[in-house]
Amino acid sequence: MMTEDIRGLSAELARDPTSLVFLALAEALRKRGQLGAAGRVVRAGLQRHPQLADAHALLARILTDQRDFGQAFESWSTVLELVPGHAGAHQGLGFLYFRAGEFDDALAQLEEAARLAPDDPGIQRGIETVRAFAVERTTPAEVAPEEPADEGNGRAAVFGGLEGANKAVVLLDRHGRLLAGGLVRADGEDVAEQVAAFLAGVSQECERSARLLDLGVWTGLTAEAERGHVHIVPPTAETLLLLSRDRSVPLGRIAHLAERAAAAARRWLEEAE
Amino acid sequence: MNVAELNTALEQVTQVPRVLGAMVVSADEGIVVGEALMEGLQSNAVAALAASVSQKLAQTTGAAGLGSPSFVHLAAENGALLAVPAGLGLVIVVVAGRDVNVGLARLEMLKVAETIG
Amino acid sequence: MTVRAVEPWTVEPVRRFIAESQARLVLVMTPAGQVLAQSGFTRAVDVMSASALAAGIVASTDELAALLRQARFGALSHQGALHGIHLMRCDTPRTPLLVLSVFGRNTSLGLVQLFAEQLAVELGESAPTEARPRLALAEDFERELHQSLNALFGT
Repeated sequence: MMTEDIRGLSAELARDPTSLVFLALAEALRKRGQLGAAGRVVRAGLQRHPQLADAHALLARILTDQRDFGQAFESWSTVLELVPGHAGAHQGLGFLYFRAGEFDDALAQLEEAARLAPDDPGIQRGIETVRAFAVERTTPAEVAPEEPADEGNGRAAVFGGLEGANKAVVLLDRHGRLLAGGLVRADGEDVAEQVAAFLAGVSQECERSARLLDLGVWTGLTAEAERGHVHIVPPTAETLLLLSRDRSVPLGRIAHLAERAAAAARRWLEEAE
Repeated sequence: MNVAELNTALEQVTQVPRVLGAMVVSADEGIVVGEALMEGLQSNAVAALAASVSQKLAQTTGAAGLGSPSFVHLAAENGALLAVPAGLGLVIVVVAGRDVNVGLARLEMLKVAETIG
Repeated sequence: MTVRAVEPWTVEPVRRFIAESQARLVLVMTPAGQVLAQSGFTRAVDVMSASALAAGIVASTDELAALLRQARFGALSHQGALHGIHLMRCDTPRTPLLVLSVFGRNTSLGLVQLFAEQLAVELGESAPTEARPRLALAEDFERELHQSLNALFGT
């Protein structure tokens, strides 16, 4: 969706604020990663159309993208109250349960979704993924059964298969230039460029600190922050990768995910050479 | 908290196996405020570098919309540098050897941070 | 950042110090205020003022140390709202040197201190061992001063 299309939809909505075009506009903004704006549009639409299940479903997807899983759960539940048997809502709830590590509830929701929409391959893949995780009893964090990586920021798709592939993982070179991935703040703003600029300095500081304190080569930097965790690793001597997750994901798990992302980055860099 | 109490709290951190030293550092200046068991370690280097890593990481997490770090762990082949920002513009810093129990060290550091306020 | 020096052996240590510490202005001088190297200054008058003031500060603190019956202070620092200064004495085989560093909020006093210590070691190792010829005449001093300023500002 181009900027012109968004302008057109915005103009159409301005002409007729009661129009349902707000759904298309919010979805276009969501796909562009402008989650904050998308949320505002859909909430404004819900003021006029509070019984519109599609609007609640769209809000749930936006909230999921923003990792506001509690509110997303509420929105999906509202969809089911309005339209019992809404396959997408069961699928969405299945994803949220899965992400919380509640595999039995996740499977129940996804199986209900599959019963309602038997031809949806995404739901089937979700069921298989949850079953695989349920066997290992590991905490899901990177696999998103029905949340495909949403490219569209013009950067290389290196981390396909990782949740938040272009919203919570960035790969940059040693000069702070973005190579792949993306980083979207909770308000929907893409901050990958700003973060990359600061990260270059972090990398130099890590290298220097490890060297001067005789700690050897640095292998990773983890930070617990007020609204999320980050793990930074150097996939190669010339690159740096940052992976971000919300505070519900344990630090050890984030380090594991970052290593997986780093492996994907190394493969991509080798192929690029 | 006076200096003696601070040093006692830091000594608790050094009881964690493989912790080589613990110190309190002024976050802005990167200089040592108090320390315990820093044998073989260059205190001023640890203080300056840990404060600098923490500060630069805080810029990064701030830009990412995640707020300030409450715990920082620099992992390296032969050990780790840990930092917990505390009140009064101070940072608790630990240098540890390989295979340190980071979780335990973190808890002890958070206790010191709470004591500082 | 460009390092200009009257004494070429000071250039590499000062360059490394700036790269590591991120100091904005650096002066390497003798305790008499004679500048051997500078980085970051754009006006000769600032170099001359800063070197004279720094030499005066060190001379004053030397006297304070003497009053306290203790060894000279090795370094002193002040932290301001925007900038900090760090003034250090270091010994070389030929002559003691003073290093004045001015740094901003992009670095810290701790980092400047840390790498200033390294600079002191490197200056000690790089300095020639032979003594410089003494300046006897006022006109020699004037000539040398102009030559120094030319070297320090590339004019």
